[in-house]
Amino acid sequence: MKYRNDQIREALAAEYALGTLQGAARQRFERSLRQDPALRRLVAQWQARLAPLDEAAQPVTPPARVWRAIQQRVAPASRRAGFWNSIGFWRGTALASTTAAVLLAVSLLTIVPRHETMVVVMSDDQSRPQITVSWQSRQRGEKQLRVRVMGHQTMDPETAWELWMLPPGDQKPVSLGLITTHETQTVVVPVQLQQAIDSARALAMSVEPKGGSPTGLPTGPVLYQGPCTKL
Amino acid sequence: MAEPDILAQLMARCALRDQRAFAQLYRHTAAKLYGVALRILRRQDWAEEVLQESYVNIWSHVEEYSAAKSAPMTWMTAIVRNRALDWLRRPHFEHGSEDYDLLVEALPDDAQAPEALLALGRDARALAECLKQLSGNQRQSITLAYLHGLSHGELAQHMREPLGTVKTWIRRGLERLKTCMEAT
Repeated sequence: MKYRNDQIREALAAEYALGTLQGAARQRFERSLRQDPALRRLVAQWQARLAPLDEAAQPVTPPARVWRAIQQRVAPASRRAGFWNSIGFWRGTALASTTAAVLLAVSLLTIVPRHETMVVVMSDDQSRPQITVSWQSRQRGEKQLRVRVMGHQTMDPETAWELWMLPPGDQKPVSLGLITTHETQTVVVPVQLQQAIDSARALAMSVEPKGGSPTGLPTGPVLYQGPCTKL
Repeated sequence: MAEPDILAQLMARCALRDQRAFAQLYRHTAAKLYGVALRILRRQDWAEEVLQESYVNIWSHVEEYSAAKSAPMTWMTAIVRNRALDWLRRPHFEHGSEDYDLLVEALPDDAQAPEALLALGRDARALAECLKQLSGNQRQSITLAYLHGLSHGELAQHMREPLGTVKTWIRRGLERLKTCMEAT
């Protein structure tokens, strides 16, 4: 369902943040929230407006058993299944029943071979993480980067986002290709870079003309960058 | 480093599945969030359960958090609040139970809430000033709903007024609150 009228949207966002939007209306609203970034912003604004009321709440240290229970639910899966798989696992829990999710984690365990995972958190100039990239290093065959764009970002349609790998030392950046603003995407590493990327020191993303950099080197501003970390 | 920055950084590390960062995040925030859950649920066992669910939820969705949208604590508090409200409105929850009705009856009116807020930061003062400008009924229904998770029906029961009247107080009160806070 779409809430078109601005006044209704505002009123619903306010009552959702207040907690008085209930039952079927609340469920419907939560479904709309998932597809409507502007509505999410309205809710975030209301949450921020009302948040000081929580500051007046008396902090109470919870019993130690709460943390133990949380750890039990959070630790085992991620230790066994590794980095992205554990996200897949917990994503799964949100969607499917616990049983199905456990099955999923077990199947990931058996499918994913033991390689090191390389992770890059690319941040903006204020150190806010914006994009994460990960891949399996020392893997044979086609190598793919998993790219996750955080939040809901927008790109000028007349431009392109180009991903660069920074080789060790002072060598020049090498293009890995273009990415989009989609939340999750896969980039196939060019054949000639499949070995080299494992020793990259950092990745960066620059804004280029549509179609990518005309020179083979970054020409526009570098929006995000981050060092490569071996997990 | 300021507290929100510490939390944002811990959350970024949690997005990389850093268990130690998650433990630190818990140490920094659990008492506050448990306080929020207790205030809404009023029962320790329920609040523990909701706190546990909330942190599992925070861990599994932490990569969706983006600093641009809201402060870390606001984001986490919203998760706890939603979980707590879900808990109160479970289908099998005995809503009409006498115990619960008595709890609702016994709630304080929170007329003091604006005063308590004045001692806090700038945002809190702005909210307090604007809450003061609402009518007593508007202020009371909004603070009771937020602080204790009361539904429209429970508010009507607590304030001994018709449901429609309470709904109007809330709607108009929220509108005035927004206008006032945007002006300050």
